Amino acid sequence: MMAHYEAPIRRPLVTGDKTYHDVTLDVVAPVEGRANKHWWIVFGIALTAFLWGIGCIIYTITNGIGSWGLNKTVNWAWDITNFVWWVGIGHAGTLISAVLLLFRQKWRMAINRSAEAMTIFSVVQAGLFPIIHMGRPWLAYWVLPIPNQFGSLWVNFNSPLLWDVFAISTYLSVSLVFWWTGLLPDFAMIRDRAVKPFQKKIYSLLSFGWSGRAKDWQRFEEVSLVLAGLATPLVLSVHTIVSFDFATSVIPGWHTTIFPPYFVAGAVFSGFAMVNTLLIVMRKVSNLEAYITIQHIELMNIVIMITGSIVGVAYITELFMAWYSGVEYEQYAFLNRATGPYAWSYWAMMTCNVFSPQFMWFPKLRRSIMFSFFISIVVNIGMWFERFVIIVTSLHRDYLPSSWSMFSPTFVDIGIFIGTIGFFFVLFLLYARTFPVIAQAEVKTIMKSSGERYKKLRESGQSLVGSGADPRTSGGPVKINLDGHYQAAQAEVVSDEPMIPEDTHGNDVLINSLGAFDAATQKADDLQKVNGIGPKMEEKLNQLGIYTFAQVARMTKADYDLLDSITGSFPGRAERDDWAGQAATLNNN
Amino acid sequence: VSCDSNDRKPGFEYMPNMYESVPYDTYGEYDIFQTVTGGSEAMKPAEGSVMRGWLPYEIEDNQDGYAFAKANLTNPLPYTEENLAKGTELYNIYCGICHGNKGDGQGTLAKREKILGVPAYNDAGRAITEGSVYHVMYYGINSMGSYASQMTEEELWQVNHYVMSLKDALDKKEP
Repeated sequence: MMAHYEAPIRRPLVTGDKTYHDVTLDVVAPVEGRANKHWWIVFGIALTAFLWGIGCIIYTITNGIGSWGLNKTVNWAWDITNFVWWVGIGHAGTLISAVLLLFRQKWRMAINRSAEAMTIFSVVQAGLFPIIHMGRPWLAYWVLPIPNQFGSLWVNFNSPLLWDVFAISTYLSVSLVFWWTGLLPDFAMIRDRAVKPFQKKIYSLLSFGWSGRAKDWQRFEEVSLVLAGLATPLVLSVHTIVSFDFATSVIPGWHTTIFPPYFVAGAVFSGFAMVNTLLIVMRKVSNLEAYITIQHIELMNIVIMITGSIVGVAYITELFMAWYSGVEYEQYAFLNRATGPYAWSYWAMMTCNVFSPQFMWFPKLRRSIMFSFFISIVVNIGMWFERFVIIVTSLHRDYLPSSWSMFSPTFVDIGIFIGTIGFFFVLFLLYARTFPVIAQAEVKTIMKSSGERYKKLRESGQSLVGSGADPRTSGGPVKINLDGHYQAAQAEVVSDEPMIPEDTHGNDVLINSLGAFDAATQKADDLQKVNGIGPKMEEKLNQLGIYTFAQVARMTKADYDLLDSITGSFPGRAERDDWAGQAATLNNN
Repeated sequence: VSCDSNDRKPGFEYMPNMYESVPYDTYGEYDIFQTVTGGSEAMKPAEGSVMRGWLPYEIEDNQDGYAFAKANLTNPLPYTEENLAKGTELYNIYCGICHGNKGDGQGTLAKREKILGVPAYNDAGRAITEGSVYHVMYYGINSMGSYASQMTEEELWQVNHYVMSLKDALDKKEP
């Protein structure tokens, strides 16, 4: 078969000597493993912030909106600022999974799952604000056109706030369906690997009986494409509708036709920054550096740079139009932003949004993980200020000077915002431990075209036939030697390997460290339950005197090496599959 | 009735934000009025106070007052179609039930003998005049109670016109 052609200029999207099975193992590692101390610490902090936020929300609802810093002039501030901010952040997820899918961008595959999760979690945060900023949130159901006893009193469909209700709820539901559909093959993978009955049950339910047949895959692809086609206009319209909250008003500084595209660009800008922030941490913590590579980060930085520049152009356009309009209210609104009492927030916004993404023109900077992490955080700070500036500076000084006032938040305003950040991270941290954070099914589709291992094979002029086979999953001793020869599958059979020599030097040492098996008092376990131990290996282990999970669970690196030297088959396998860990789990069941 | 199958009690309310009045409702019962009226919001005005647009009826409620009113009091309202129509309407509500819609003392209650001794308006011994009718309506007489709390002064005089027209009709006399 002819090697697939991919331009040599393209850098590999999966680095390292990764096989298909390695992808599986790397993706499921956080799900199958246990949370470490750091996870619990961070989760604890997020949970505390979340609970604090809940407290502030309850305080607001029971005591009234007057517990916030709003006043009669500035009647939208942190609430709607945070709402727009969270909605904006949510947009990158759909952009990555839908728009980049439409543009056939393969690099989205390693990041789309987490980006979509981020979308859903941040839209959930955003969704809180329209409810809690209501004076009487218990009557929130009145925004829905439900037939009722008030002579079927209806909602007015002229308000962008009502459009918000439809936009956000549709956006959340579509994103959720899109995300979950993509998760089916990955949940099925975890289901198929699950050892414990409880996990097996959970992932069986989550995966909806996905069996991965050709027909399933065909429809899966179709659905993904259709949903991507639907989600793209949705992304654009949702934030457009959010921008209509302001653009359709008569307030100088709000009444602008540039808002819809400018808000969308800002949303993509801040959303990508958030994805970047999270993935830079996640690739390190979950050991996914081979999948979320510097190239992914660089490409995200480029998107940030482009959208940041669009936002910059929008700022300049606004300023130009204010000057060009000859409307003194409009001109004053911008003069007030730049020189008024909130000038600090305007300049913070300008610095963070207009100047910081411009550093990404320098390859050295945009390929630096530390720098892009820093800039992504700066961008999100800047985008928060953008919403704050638009909302507060336009409201606090408008037509009547007698209505001019100031705004300062109370601890409840701040507490609720912190609470939503906490809630977001609570969800995201739980997600990172229970969900396959990389769409492994999708990544596997690009392994042969964009995986480093296969690219090298191809470049060295070798055939990729059979190269997907893996001794750990195919049963045969398949070896792919990058330097030299390639051995096809089924070249050797395991039974040809010599059994363990009777008096090898290490046997006793191994048993001493693992503990002896006493057939009189103990019962032998079915060692084949451990992934990677086949009938032959079990036989060998039994010959060595290893019969129980407890014994296997005690194995350390030294024991693995010793075992390898004794058995002489599949070196490093026991360690890669983490036999000790698996056996410990099995032993506890 | 909704949300509660027990129809002896009012149903449950969802978030009754503005169902209960903050101000004192007319005829409401409040603790603060306990010592004055026994709880009712309806307190009496101060004795001798005069409301704008209203004058007290100066003639006293006794035989002398009756005689004085019968002799001197006349209807201040002009005798018009409108006043007569309004008077008809009010008469049929408040008076007809005893006095009969024709003023002949044959009202429903009188016919059913719930009330006895209702005279006709053309009763010669009574010889009612505008003034005596007004006086009786204002204070009541014998079994008849006062109608001053039901009708305003103007309304009393409108009914008065109609009563007099009924009397004329009974007397077969053109007004």
